[in-house]
Amino acid sequence: MDPLLKIVSGVPIFRECTRVELEALKLHLHERHFLAGEIVFDEGEDGEGMYVVIRGKLRANRKGLLSKKVLGVIQPGESFGEMALLGSGPRMATVVAEEDTTVLAMFRPELVALAQARPRLGYKIAMGVAFVLELRLRRVAEGHSPEPSST
Amino acid sequence: MNAERTTERSLEHPIIWIAVIAGSLGSILLLKAVAWLAFPLILAVVLYYLVQPLLQRLQLAGVTTAQALGIFLGAAIILTLIFSLTILPSMLSSLSNFQDQIPTYWDRLQGVIRDNLLALEGRFAFAKNANLADSLQEQLNLFLAGAGKEYVGDVALFLLHWLPSLLLVPFLTFFFLRDGTAFHRLVLRAVPNAFFEKTLLLFDRMDQQMRAYFRGMFGLTMLDTVSLGLGLWFLGRGAGIFGFWDAMALGLICAVFAWVPYIGSGLGGLLAVATVAVKAPQSSGLMLAVVVLFLGVRLLDEFLYTPITVGRALRMHPLITVMMIFSGGMLGGVYGLLLAMPLLGIFTVLGQMFAEVWFDPRLRARYHARGMLEKKLASKDLGI
Repeated sequence: MDPLLKIVSGVPIFRECTRVELEALKLHLHERHFLAGEIVFDEGEDGEGMYVVIRGKLRANRKGLLSKKVLGVIQPGESFGEMALLGSGPRMATVVAEEDTTVLAMFRPELVALAQARPRLGYKIAMGVAFVLELRLRRVAEGHSPEPSST
Repeated sequence: MNAERTTERSLEHPIIWIAVIAGSLGSILLLKAVAWLAFPLILAVVLYYLVQPLLQRLQLAGVTTAQALGIFLGAAIILTLIFSLTILPSMLSSLSNFQDQIPTYWDRLQGVIRDNLLALEGRFAFAKNANLADSLQEQLNLFLAGAGKEYVGDVALFLLHWLPSLLLVPFLTFFFLRDGTAFHRLVLRAVPNAFFEKTLLLFDRMDQQMRAYFRGMFGLTMLDTVSLGLGLWFLGRGAGIFGFWDAMALGLICAVFAWVPYIGSGLGGLLAVATVAVKAPQSSGLMLAVVVLFLGVRLLDEFLYTPITVGRALRMHPLITVMMIFSGGMLGGVYGLLLAMPLLGIFTVLGQMFAEVWFDPRLRARYHARGMLEKKLASKDLGI
């Protein structure tokens, strides 16, 4: 399997996707390179897509009253910004590359179009997003801080 | 600063509107200069947007993109063969008959015009003083004697010039359908990180708008064709003027003319009235009925067909529309008339895209920050 797709297949949202479905998904993945210190997205801006980390490391921050609150570090194989797949609400954190980083970006309207063409794949992705959000809600309900990827 | 408010303000930026109008008019000039390529390219884009939903339906049935494209191409080739073997010969024969009848039709049309002008001269003194009937007859004779022949030569040259270029259309459409997504990704690679999400969103918006416009125009043309064709057939059947398919063909020609806003509908109406005048010169009541039919279809267009097909996506202020059409016509002739509005629509979205991305201070700050990071990295590498 393509090494990029191997990483994507390990992301919880896409865990149910078959190899053929991942190949179809690959056409809508945008590879982006960020330099250390570069902002991937900014808290408050409208979110239009989610990202999967291929190489490097990122940090998620939220604005506090006096200083930034670090939510955590995002490692290769992890995804962030999934909330944007549900709607273009404001981003809940700022994500900055801690080192030179490569990510795969997935854009909501493209995924929606893909889901319309392949409803089974659309269903799997929707269930994947629901699964990730359920995990995060449970963590919050149990008193843990949300994971950095809940941006 | 509130980003939304900044965007709203930037959309009102006069420079953007000047750039939108200049870009549209400049493109008309450019497209006119490379019309041999631009025309098939535009047709291929239109076909792409029309065929894409069919491919999507095939994909929904479980076939891959390549298989869907293969099925579509196979069906298109079979349909073309059927058309070439069945309908095309009868069309060519009708065309040949029509060509033989042109001098008769021309004489009849001249006769109808002359009779009406003479009637006008009999009623109004100014018309008699201007000698309308004779001067028009003189102009028509001049046209026939000299310029007419010249134009016939031009038309033949025009067809010879365009045929190879039109052969590009299926070729280009095939590659748009096959590699459209990959090309889209390639273009997006050039977009800086800071503007990436916004640009993707705006590209998507432009794609949606173009898709809605072309599909809407196709639907509108079909509705106009059926309305006009049925109307002409119904009106003309008593006098034996039109067969069903003749009426539909005339309806289609008039519907295509209507792609040129304001002017096109008028030209289509004139063509239909001229056809009736040629076929049944004595039935002035029928000519009036055709005019009423055209006005009726215009009203249907305005209040029913356009809202349910093209919608209000490309509706501009009437003053801008008229000015753009006339400027387009002046700069690009027929191409300019046809392309002025779609190009203005595309450039308006591009202008909005640019304004939304470029006038957002946070995005620009991120873009400059990336530049500074690159500079710092380069300096470190060079040991400066």
